[in-house]
This record gives sequence, C-alpha cells and structure tokens, in this order.
Amino acid sequence: MGHDKLSAMAPTALDGVRILDLTSEMGHYCGKLLADLGADVIKVEPPGGEPSRARAPFWNGEPGRETSLRFWYFNANKRSATVDLGQFDGRWLFGQLVKTADIVIEAWTAAERSELAEHGVDPDAYMEAQPSLIWVSITGFGLDGPKSGWQVTDLIAQAASGIATLAGYPDGSPMRIAGNQAYIVAGISAAQGALLALLQAEATGRGQRVETSMQEALSICQETAHLQWDFQGTSRQRIGEQHRIPGIGTYKTRDGYIYSMVGIPGFGAPWSALVEWMEEEGQAEDLTDPPYAETFASLNMRMLMDPEEQAKFASIFARVQDVLTRFYASKTSMELYEQGQSRRLLLGQVATPADIGDSKHLAAREWWLEFDQPTKLGSDDAHLRFPGPPYRMSATPTSIRRPAPQIGEHNQEVWVDEVGIPAEDLIAFAGEGAV
Amino acid sequence: MTSTTGTRPLDGIRVADFSWFGAGPIAGRTLADFGADVIRVESEARVDGLRLAQPQKPGKSGYNVCAYFNNFNADKRSFLLNMSAEGSREVALRLIERSDIFLSNLTPRMFERWGLTYEELCEVKPDIIAAYQPMQGLTGPHRDFLGFGAVLTPTTGISHLSGDPERKPVGVGTNYPDYAVNPGHTIVAILAALRHRRRTGQGQRIELAQIESVAATMGPALLDYTANGVNQIRKGNQSSWMCPHGIYRCADDPSGRERWIAIAVGDDAQWESLCTVAAGTSFASDDRFGTLLGRRRTEDELNAQVSDWTTSFDAASLAIQLQSVGVAASLVHDAEDMCEHDDHLAERGFYEYLDHPETDISLYDGPIVKLHDTPGYLASAAPLFGEHTFEVATEVLGYSAEEVAEFAASGVLS
Repeated sequence: MGHDKLSAMAPTALDGVRILDLTSEMGHYCGKLLADLGADVIKVEPPGGEPSRARAPFWNGEPGRETSLRFWYFNANKRSATVDLGQFDGRWLFGQLVKTADIVIEAWTAAERSELAEHGVDPDAYMEAQPSLIWVSITGFGLDGPKSGWQVTDLIAQAASGIATLAGYPDGSPMRIAGNQAYIVAGISAAQGALLALLQAEATGRGQRVETSMQEALSICQETAHLQWDFQGTSRQRIGEQHRIPGIGTYKTRDGYIYSMVGIPGFGAPWSALVEWMEEEGQAEDLTDPPYAETFASLNMRMLMDPEEQAKFASIFARVQDVLTRFYASKTSMELYEQGQSRRLLLGQVATPADIGDSKHLAAREWWLEFDQPTKLGSDDAHLRFPGPPYRMSATPTSIRRPAPQIGEHNQEVWVDEVGIPAEDLIAFAGEGAV
Repeated sequence: MTSTTGTRPLDGIRVADFSWFGAGPIAGRTLADFGADVIRVESEARVDGLRLAQPQKPGKSGYNVCAYFNNFNADKRSFLLNMSAEGSREVALRLIERSDIFLSNLTPRMFERWGLTYEELCEVKPDIIAAYQPMQGLTGPHRDFLGFGAVLTPTTGISHLSGDPERKPVGVGTNYPDYAVNPGHTIVAILAALRHRRRTGQGQRIELAQIESVAATMGPALLDYTANGVNQIRKGNQSSWMCPHGIYRCADDPSGRERWIAIAVGDDAQWESLCTVAAGTSFASDDRFGTLLGRRRTEDELNAQVSDWTTSFDAASLAIQLQSVGVAASLVHDAEDMCEHDDHLAERGFYEYLDHPETDISLYDGPIVKLHDTPGYLASAAPLFGEHTFEVATEVLGYSAEEVAEFAASGVLS
C-alpha cells in the first residue's frame, strides 16, 4: 500500500457523500476518518483560517498558517472553503452550501451554537428544509444537562471522564494521556454516529442529529473503575509502579525502557521461560535456586494483586527484582522486545516517536504514506512520510488523495462551480470579507 | 435512562463475534447497542479471561459475575462452540454463512488454525464483512508478537509521551487502547464497509492492526519525527500553547480523599477571567503573567502559585466558579464522582442500570454516541455463559434438537 504519489483509483466506501467540516482541533479527527474513507469533506473555515492551523508542531519548526504538521495530519484529503459566519452574506452563502451536503460536523461551544442559531445558522431549520441532512455536534459535555455550557479542552475532558485520576504516580498529580486523546476519541465516536445516521438516512431518507459528549465517550476508558465502584463502593486509584511484582512493570534498558508483563498465568510464556533466557545469557545468577524458582512457578492472582500476600515474599521479590533489573539494563529495548517475544514473553518496547518512525515492522507493512505537501508561498513542497491509516480495507482501501488544503484553496470550485455562485458575486463577497 | 425499544440503524444485521477480552467484544457491544444481533462465541475450553477477572459481584463466583465482562457484552447472545472439537468448524461456518459481520481479535496463528481466514469465510459467505484485529497485523516481521492494551500503550508511543518527564514512563494506569480507540476504529471501518456492501453487494476484509490503529492517534508527534527529526518526550500536563494548563491539588474532602482540579487557560482574556476569581492573590496582579508569552516563560513559577491558591478550595465548587466566568476547568473525577456525584451525567442518564440474574441491578456504560431519532440502547444485560446456545443452534443455525444433542455430546457445543 505504499504511495509514491497521490492516488484516486480504487472505489471508496464513502463515494458520493459530501460533508461540511466546521471544526477545529476538537473535532477534526472525525472528518479525517470520513475523508480518508472517500467522503468529499469540505473544511468550512473563517477567512483567516481555523485556529488549529497555528498549532505546533510546525514544518522545519517554522510557525505559520500553512506549516502546521498537526493541521496537515488531521486535514489531508479535505478541501477548504472560507466563509465568515459572523456576516449576513457569509451566513447566506453557508446556507447555500448546506443544501449540497449530506452531513455537517461542528464542534461549537454552546454559546456559539445558540448565537449562530439566533442568526439563522440553525441545524433544526436546515434539517426541516432538507430532511435527509445529518448534523453532528461534537461537544465536551453534550447538548443538554447542567454542564452543556461548559468550556472544554482535552485536559478538561480527561479530568471529567474519570481517566486522568487513574494515570500517573500515587504521590504525584493525576495525568493526562498524550495525543489529545479526548479529541481523538470524540472524533471516533462522532464518526461512528455519522455513519450510523448515514446508513439510516440512506435507507429511509431521514437524517437526524448526532451528538458526541467527550466526557461520555472517554469515560468508557475508565476500564473497571466505575464497575468496581458499583460492586464494591471503592474508587480505583492510580498506582504508578506500586504493588508490582518482579517481571511486571517498566524497566530501564541500555537505551530506553521496556514494559514487561511476565508471570501472569495465561498471558504468554511463564516466568521460567524468562529465567531460562537469562540463564542462556549467563545472567540468571541464583534465580534458578529453589526459593526463587518455586515461588515464581506458583505465581497466582493473589500474589499479583494483594499487597499483604506480596509482603510475605518481600525478600525473595527484592532479590529477583535486582537480578532482573540488571538483565534488562544490559540489553537494548529492541533486543529485549524481539528476543523476548520470540520466546512468547509478553514484552513491549517503550517506543519513542523515532522508534515508531524507524520500525522495520511498520516499514515492511508499508504503513507510511509518502506525498508532497505544499507549504507557505515561495517555499518548496514538504515531502512527507505520513502516518498511515488505522485499518486496511480490502475492497475500499483508504488513501491520501490530496494533501491538506491551504486557506480557501477551493473557494472557486466550491462556491462557483459547485454551489453556483456567479464568479463576479464571489469577488464581491470576497471584497466585503464574507469569503 | 434512555429508551429500550424502537428502530435502530443496525436492525437485521447479524454479527458472528469470535472475539474475546476487550477490543473485540467492545466493538461488538456498540454494534449491539445500535440494533445488531451479536452472537458471542464462547467455549468452556477457552473461557474469556474477563469472565474470571475483577470486579466480581461480592459473595458470588463463577462465569457470570464479573462486571468487566458483563459491561462489554450486554445485549449479546452467548453461544458455546468449542473450536478445538472435531466438527466445530462446520458449525462455525454455518453461523458465518448466516451472519453479515465476522469479528475476531484472535492472533493470526489462531484463526488460521481454526480455518477462519477471510478467504475461507468467503467460500460460505461471499459478501461477509470480516473484521480482524490482530495486534501487529496479518503480515510483517512482528506479526506473531503477543500483546494487548497494556503492551500497546508502550509500543505505540503513548507511554513515552505521557506523564512526568522526570520519572519512568509507567503508562496511563489502564489498558487504554482497548476501550475506545481500537474498538471505535473497528466500528468505523465496519460501518463504512456496510455502506459499501449495500451499494455494491460486495463484502470485504478489514484488517485493523492494533498497533497501527493506536499509532494513528499519535500523528502529529510521529510527523514531527519523520518530517523534522524531532523525537518528542513527555511533558506532564503541559500544553504546547495553553498556560496555565495543569492539574492542581485542592482541599482534601472531609474523609481525607485527595481532590484535584484541572484548569486550562487558552488566551489572555481567560487569564483575566481567572484572575477575577483569584482576586487578591499575588499572581492576579503580576504583570509578567498578563500575556501568554509571559506566562509560558514563567510557567513553573506560575504553576506553583496557582497550586498554592487552589489548595484551600473545594475542587468541584472552584470548577463551577471558573466555568461561570468562561475558564475551562473541571474537578478531576474519580469513580465515585462519575457514578454518584456528577449531576450532569445523571441528568443525561448516561449510565444504564440493568437487571441480571446473578449480579442483580448493576451498572453498564451507555451508548457512546447519541443519535437523536434512532438512539442506541441496551435491550438486555450480559448473557449468562452459554445462555443462548440452544436458541442460536436451532433458530439461527437451523439444527434440530437431536442434532444439537449430538453436538453437545461430542463436545462441539460446549
């Protein structure tokens, strides 16, 4: 699936679906997923460009509206048309554009949503005129309820969904998961909703409103915390590395870290396979002696989870931890990962972006996509090695058909050729700043 | 609570769910929420580890009392089929022939051994939508590596990029990728494939390599490396552009429970608003903090001062106060907050409480996206182990009662 150039040959799953994407970073993953699946996604942005165009990281570290790697990643395959929804003419133009769309995606704040509705940018009104329209709202807390008017960011959503409290060290603060995961998960949830509504609309002719609450969508990542509360009336706490017996946890290696999950019954090769490996390398020291070997041959869930039970084995665990720490520290993360996995030991490299970028596995799978991305005026195109898709579909492969758009790059084709605004009118609209 | 009747978008769609643990069954659960008939294939010979995990209903034991399993399998039918028993493949293929979607997160070695590759499924059901979720994909040098969420968090860069830069990257406290990212991506692909099938009659194979699905969420950091050669590192709760941006300690509650508040200030106007709430503090009148650049330059000092300020407040009240002046803030919720004290979640009826023969009325996650006219809902709690074996074998697969008895005797339906 490697791409030397942009491709547009294969059929796509969302052929013929037209989507208006009014979001910035809070919602742009939804439109990316749908655009990569073949939908015609038009970014509808204010004339100066939407805010995530100014977000780091930047190409060559140069800040600018046409150099954001973050923007490029989330907006490849989309087209850009500008319109000022703060102006009467802009709102009229937008109304004309909505008539050509199947799905609208927005991530407005509650205040923006009600102000726009007062000025006629009103989902219910559009949907009444156009019953098959699907209107997707990506929100922090939902469209109703006491917090529906609250401000949200990735950090706030992670805090409000019960997951930040589980991440980090017990003696430190709750932690945010990297990568704006609240925006990612909201985007995935909204894409599911949009597609469910599309299946329904294509079967019945009726569109509907779709609503994602970041708090709710992320809250399922609490794992068992809420379930434990329901059954036992206790709140799970972040544990960092507490109560980890030897073989389980994050260890320093020669060049980084390895995550080790050896010894849980039923998960990969048993502890003895790890000691065998250490022995072959001449690094098992005394771990083959009966007290150590026997303790680890009889590991059970109580020893894994119950601090009191673990206390009984404190001296044995301390010695084993010592030897194992030395063993892991003597090899690189990749050596441990590959050699351990070849022995069916559950080890995982704590990968940095460079490790992923240089991964021979991902390279062999031709995951990365290569294409040229235009940058700011007067600069050469950026040749990008671009992260690939989350899934491979055999009949309707996803692809990069076009790089991320520059601000208003497709104004002419969208407004004039597709919406039917006379070219001279568009010039007038541009003159007054409506596009 | 939301409704429990009505048309749903996936009515009439059947899913042969051969998955287990987290990422697979959760995808099946969402399909069920939206109307699909999801037949969860299980076996006494290979019991889903989550049926035996924690938390379990106090005072109860067995396969049916773990909420971890039950939450992900509500509204499905449990069908026992031992794929190691002779004759089982015929039954599996009949189920697949009568299904629209095949779902599996088994390792490639396992479904190859069982004879359930896409090509083999197509022989009985040419338009099947077959979704595979192998950890590393169906090809490549690491194809047969083992793993699940706990290993994916490190291998996809999430551990390296999350948490305190001064300390070891210990992950995020959960098997994070298993819950929303991998099942969610799987559903997006399945729904897109369903649309394609409706339009063309053509099914297809979906290969979601879990490592790729999670790496795709880290796009900007990966591009920073491939385009700029910059290898990013974790930076705690700091933002690349908001400041202050962090989680600050507040007053403990009367029982000594730690309470924290998250605050994210995006621009100077929000900073001024925060300062109106913090009037009288030294930072509120410190000109150095008036601009984003100034705040970023002095971020450590500023965080220390904000932290000093929040420490005497009730976190929930302070969050409400900050939100009332337009500053993004929230109490850092723990499970008790989520389930008991968040009036907002309660008013929206997000959590569902369903009755179950062994766990009584217990909590389930509601559907993770809201469709206003054809909403998802949970029509039933989790199935008991093997509860629907006979029903599925006769009604769906069309076997006679005698045939079912034979399959049971030979260990196929067990």
